[in-house]
Amino acid sequence: MQYLLQLLISGLAIGAIYGLIAMGFAVIYKSTGLVNFAQGEMTMITAYIAWTISTTVSGNVVVVSLGAILGAILLGLVIERVVMRPMLGEPVFATVMVTIGLAVILRSAINFIWDAYPHSLDVGMGREIVRVGNIGVRTGQIAVIVTLLALLAAIWAFFRYSKIGVAMRAVAADDRTALLMGISATRVHALAWAASSVIAGIGGVFFALSYDLSPAMFQLGLKAFPATILGGLDAVLGSGLGGLLIGITENLAGGYIGSGMKEVAGFAMIIVVLMIRPFGIFGQRDIERV
Amino acid sequence: MRTYLTTASLLLAATVFTAGNALAADPGITDTEVLIGDVEPLTGPPALLGVAASIGHKIAIAEANNAGGINGRKIKYVLEDDGYVTARTIQGAKKVIEVDKVFAMLGMSGSGQSIAVMPVLEKAGIPTVIDVAPVKFLWEPARKNVFVVGQSYEEGIIHLVNYLAEKNPGKKWGLITQDDDYGITVRDGFDSVVKAKKLNVVYSGNYKKGQQDFSSDMLQLKDSGAEVFLAGGIIAENIAMMKELEKLNLKPVTGIFWPGRIEPVLKLMGPAGDGIYAVDYVEPFASEAGKAFLDKARPLVSEAELKGINRYTMTGYAAAKVLIGAIERCGKQPTWACTISELEKTKNVETGVMAPISFGPGVRFSNQKLQIMRADAATLSFKPAN
Repeated sequence: MQYLLQLLISGLAIGAIYGLIAMGFAVIYKSTGLVNFAQGEMTMITAYIAWTISTTVSGNVVVVSLGAILGAILLGLVIERVVMRPMLGEPVFATVMVTIGLAVILRSAINFIWDAYPHSLDVGMGREIVRVGNIGVRTGQIAVIVTLLALLAAIWAFFRYSKIGVAMRAVAADDRTALLMGISATRVHALAWAASSVIAGIGGVFFALSYDLSPAMFQLGLKAFPATILGGLDAVLGSGLGGLLIGITENLAGGYIGSGMKEVAGFAMIIVVLMIRPFGIFGQRDIERV
Repeated sequence: MRTYLTTASLLLAATVFTAGNALAADPGITDTEVLIGDVEPLTGPPALLGVAASIGHKIAIAEANNAGGINGRKIKYVLEDDGYVTARTIQGAKKVIEVDKVFAMLGMSGSGQSIAVMPVLEKAGIPTVIDVAPVKFLWEPARKNVFVVGQSYEEGIIHLVNYLAEKNPGKKWGLITQDDDYGITVRDGFDSVVKAKKLNVVYSGNYKKGQQDFSSDMLQLKDSGAEVFLAGGIIAENIAMMKELEKLNLKPVTGIFWPGRIEPVLKLMGPAGDGIYAVDYVEPFASEAGKAFLDKARPLVSEAELKGINRYTMTGYAAAKVLIGAIERCGKQPTWACTISELEKTKNVETGVMAPISFGPGVRFSNQKLQIMRADAATLSFKPAN
């Protein structure tokens, strides 16, 4: 039982990180109809920004958090304005290719701006181990699960009740009609990129806190992508829950079947789920444009 | 007068003709310069080794240039980035050899990359000293122009497992390896000792390259009751494994391999990394030889490069020293044939960062002496183990 509990807790912790990044994928898809293949790289850049603040400005958790959020907003806005906006109206295939190119550039930027060494993100908390009986969990892992749940609730309320959230849903449903209703699609797109960068960036910062920061971190995007497919590419909340499901499945497979199955389990799961529900567990509409 | 002019013209023509032939046969060398080429991963996670190795090459080159160069010729270093992508290694090597027309090659990226580029090097016949990732295929069979400084991964693992087995008789063993050629080599070395010493292996895991979360793997290790653990990850993987073990309140006797034996790893592992064993053929930086190397490097590299120094800097430095020495011994008119011949004659060359280096007729592998070292978390360093 203890073995199972430890697997579940660890699975939830890593799954929460996948979930946050998966939500980043979904926010952009929901608002722009685009799959951002640079999501993992954007996550990594935000984590590196947090690390830079912690080592050069202050290691205070509030300063690092605020700095990282501002950095992520700026990153999302710059990418949207400089790279994505000129692609408006272009074929989706070309736009997706641009995000792939962006991913390669951001990945290489790590070596040019920072270095290839792994680093630890120290904000004075998150690394302590809490033990309940023989089960150990780091405080950062508890925090990321709580953060994901809080964000799920906040995002549900945002899309449900806020004016901007409703505008984003309108643009996603039909951008031309939304435009006729006075909604600025470009503003909504910019907001989506900024929000996606922040949500995924939070996942990246928690990953750096619980594990470490390294140029290989972009691979989190590859792990989170199945989560968003599983939850539904257009379902922001579903993507978050998809992350938790993938994390738990991976850990149970790794713990009960074998190490080699860990990386395969998540993908095996999405194959099965997509056979039954092609739009993902929480997806609601046909995915045509990717 | 006519006879004098004719003789002079003939002599001049002969000189130009001969010089032209020499230049055509042996590119990369002029009256003032010798070009040395290299292809390394300078971007992406493996830049950790590629950048460090190239810094080692630069230190040896700067040292030689400060001493007047190779018989008066300054050494110029041509470095290409392959991003640890095999196709780009081949492309980079071809570019350096055919376009930049270098005189000799160093480094050559990771194990898979250097294996893949071997036909290019062999076909070109260019003198090459490989130093980053020594694997048997690079020297078995021996290629005329390719020399390898280092020790084989398999021998390294055998040495480490033998040492740990002698120190921990009758204990239960656990092993985890990466699912690639590196992991297979580690596993092969481990298995050979398991057979010979009849070790009791209770956990054997295999993870996919790029895996970052090792919670279930380490939980399995704990559940198996393993007391001695061979962490077959490279850098980030070993850090993640040690942190998981700390979380699980488990402290087995742990051994790691030299690709992950870099000092910053200890800082990231924290107390979990204290006392782990490692095997290597280069000196630890905490040793007298290591300190002397850092003192030597300091004035020769930039501040940023100084921060990028790790064990691969030592391997790169040693290989470059051997190559430069061989070209130097060829005198005023070095050729590829002479350089290869002099490389072959390399005997007990002292580099200060590893045991003396030797090659020989038909011997293209320096077969470096191994040593076991142990991590000291308090000083964030590896120290020779008893």
